[in-house]
Amino acid sequence: MKIRKIDSTILDEMKKMTLPQILRMHAGHLPAEYTAIREKAYGKWEIRNWKDYFSCVKRTGLGLIQLGFRRGENLAIIMDNHQEWLFAELGAQALGGITLNLFTSAIASELAYGLNRADAAYVVAQDQEQVDKLLEIRDKLPFVRKVIYIDPTGMRTYEDPWLISYKELIALGKRLENDDPGLFEKEIKKGKTDDIAVMIMTSGTTGIAKLAMLSHANFIDIGRKWIETAPIGMNSNWLSISPPPWIVDQMWGVGVALAGAMTMNFPETPDTISEDFRELGPHVIITSSRFWEDLASSIRVKINDAGFVKRLFFSKAESIGGKILDLRNENKKIPFRLKLLQEIASFTLYRPLLDRIGCSQLESAYTGGHPVSPDVIKFFRSIGLNLKQCYGLTEAGGIFQVQPDDEVKAETVGIPLPRTRVKISENGEVLVSSASIFRGYHKDYDATESAFEEGWLKTGDAGYLDDDGHLVIIGRKEEIIRDKEGRAFSPDFIETRLKFSPFIKEAVIFGEGRPYITAFINIDMGNVGNWAEDRMIPYTTYTDLSQQAEVERLILEEIGNVNERMPEPMRIRRFLLLYKLLDADDEELTRTGKVRRRFVYGLYLKLIEAMYNGKKQIDVKGKVHYRDGHTGSIETTVRILDA
Amino acid sequence: MKALRGQLGIYEPKDESRNRAELSVDNVSLSFGGLMALSNISMYVKTGELLAVIGPNGAGKTSLLNCLTGYYRPQQGIINFNGEDITGLPTHELVKKGIGRSFQNIELFPGMTVLSNMLLARHIHSGYDFGSACFFLPSVRREETRHRKIVEEIIDFLEMQSIRKKLVGSLPYGLRKRVELGRAIALEPKLLVLDEPFAGMNLEEKEDMVRFLLELNRTWKQTMILVEHDMSVVMTISKRVVALNFGEKLAEGLPEEIQNNEDVIMAYLGDKTEI
Repeated sequence: MKIRKIDSTILDEMKKMTLPQILRMHAGHLPAEYTAIREKAYGKWEIRNWKDYFSCVKRTGLGLIQLGFRRGENLAIIMDNHQEWLFAELGAQALGGITLNLFTSAIASELAYGLNRADAAYVVAQDQEQVDKLLEIRDKLPFVRKVIYIDPTGMRTYEDPWLISYKELIALGKRLENDDPGLFEKEIKKGKTDDIAVMIMTSGTTGIAKLAMLSHANFIDIGRKWIETAPIGMNSNWLSISPPPWIVDQMWGVGVALAGAMTMNFPETPDTISEDFRELGPHVIITSSRFWEDLASSIRVKINDAGFVKRLFFSKAESIGGKILDLRNENKKIPFRLKLLQEIASFTLYRPLLDRIGCSQLESAYTGGHPVSPDVIKFFRSIGLNLKQCYGLTEAGGIFQVQPDDEVKAETVGIPLPRTRVKISENGEVLVSSASIFRGYHKDYDATESAFEEGWLKTGDAGYLDDDGHLVIIGRKEEIIRDKEGRAFSPDFIETRLKFSPFIKEAVIFGEGRPYITAFINIDMGNVGNWAEDRMIPYTTYTDLSQQAEVERLILEEIGNVNERMPEPMRIRRFLLLYKLLDADDEELTRTGKVRRRFVYGLYLKLIEAMYNGKKQIDVKGKVHYRDGHTGSIETTVRILDA
Repeated sequence: MKALRGQLGIYEPKDESRNRAELSVDNVSLSFGGLMALSNISMYVKTGELLAVIGPNGAGKTSLLNCLTGYYRPQQGIINFNGEDITGLPTHELVKKGIGRSFQNIELFPGMTVLSNMLLARHIHSGYDFGSACFFLPSVRREETRHRKIVEEIIDFLEMQSIRKKLVGSLPYGLRKRVELGRAIALEPKLLVLDEPFAGMNLEEKEDMVRFLLELNRTWKQTMILVEHDMSVVMTISKRVVALNFGEKLAEGLPEEIQNNEDVIMAYLGDKTEI
């Protein structure tokens, strides 16, 4: 189906609307062949058009009224990617409510913090697991009047009046719909575009999490900009895979997809994403750099396991793609012979490979959240995937900076979206200004105040604009480190390059005020495990595998490769293979998978000291937290290696 | 919508008589040559119950199940199911009467997908004949769709969506056990007989299995007999326990009673001896 953009006059009208008002407008005039929502259930894709979508939102909203939801109250949602997320979110917003999404993987105390911080009056919970966590912390949640659970499995023996199923909620809503048919429309009309729609918990890489407030106008504005910029139109497919508490799916689900009448697709379960992804073939995707890094490394591992002929074709095709990419970047003419070879490679390798990973229909693919290794971008672009870097942050309403189609420069994050201004402050910080900038932090005036500089939003990232006006991000401003001699370096910069190795899952760089740079390495259990099995190296657990001498040599080689391409002061001198994976349950990572550097620093101070005082090995005793509340301990000896 | 799932079509409220599963075993004895595998065993199961059969290795647990499901023919005694004498009936007759089972040592078709393995269990419920199947008539198509839906609901319930098209032979042990349970449920049995559903599982897999069995029994009122070694599991989920040792019934009663029964403790842990 040909992509047709939504009318620009309709887009202009949206400026004065709220998100539920836009939904009602679409439901009113878009015919049934426009698909609003698709979710895989029982092995097939179930389709919902805009009328159905509106009707579900309406019943959810009316059900909330029946439960006693009042204008201005807040609804918390603890869900994975399912359509009920949107119904609950838009249903509450139609009543003038504000929604906050929390991670399903959060432990009970994290939930308590988020729910209290937002004064949530109602909670929508995914399933028994989430309900159990809420029951555990019930005495800490005095404001929560009702918990609505989605999945009824296992819930039939719960008789607590605090709980109600989503099915019952819908039934309540339906009853009210019959009694008072115009009520919901009346409620929707009361909304103002500048009302707060959503609160998003910032990931808290550098301290306590804050709640950023975004208005309807913010989402609509960012939605309009994306529709003007990206090759997307009505019925274009978006697969909802990044967790709803994260800005990306919020920006898309209630912003871009709603404004542009795109189709939101939901996978069957988190485990079936890659299969569902391939079946669907989305038209556009924005995902974390880790998604692409994992994909690239799994392709490489599989190719290495493949037969000689396949390996040969792959390496030839990759080098052809790479050469063409280089010529394009230098604005040189591509010789006919190379063009011909590219056609052959595209037929034999690129297209089948892209189809295999579900990317054959992608018009544009974006990576964001964290700087991605330029090698990864080059890899995907050389096999014909239009992968581009983008940059944004929750406080800016989402992603506002993308690489344009014809000028993709590996090190940059491109140019701003329309009507967005970006500049560099005197001390090298990236500043941004546009209509989609957030409305402040919830109940935190000081933090809001310090987030702005003369009306510009401070991103907290250090960066510079290159000669063509493309933005280059160096790293988190407060994470730029100086060594003993005062030479500045960005840990991020080194870490992302390390992580392109299929054998390195995570790396943490140290060196502030120190004579040289050191690193913690987390090996990739799957890939290193396969590698070890191929070489008949026996191992038991992660801890055991990470301390094998052969594995140490393997990682040493990988680090050597990275060091070679680094300027002298940024080379890693000593490192160790950490005996456990960094984990969000141990608070070492944020729920979005970023390293909480200071926390790691505090936790492993002894190990870090050991890397600087010349020790060859050190005995450690570590604690591991399991999600069910148990703690375990690890005792082992870690060797410190010289790179 | 996820919210409307979780209800298995095969467990939709139907009239009481269709769920009825009253089993009684009277003085059943089974011997292989001179070896008495079971001697004078009597017990009963009532509709909606979850009965656990426990006992040390070689106690005769599996032999008992094999008598119930028609694999062995006891030399003496009567097995009665819903008022009908079923002693010595062949397996395929028993399945039609509503007794479905899973095996200790997984008996699936490793070269077939999870979906095909489960659809196979629907064979006894399919009404069409060979001729109409050859032409794939609309009635056959409707019937096939119905069975697929039932199987998909079970896949959804047992959280097997990501493996539905995988070959059973490529799955880890714990998941195969789950597929076996799924296939047994797909038979729509009145009495579900499970032989060591937890054997060889890690803690997480066990927890999942407990969840599924509790939901089946407590919410859907599925009558079950299960043989199990893991005492902590037995104590959590069963309503009544029968303990066997050397082919004889040692004790019968509530889980707590069995736990404190001296004969049972003796059978499991042995007697004190002076060395």
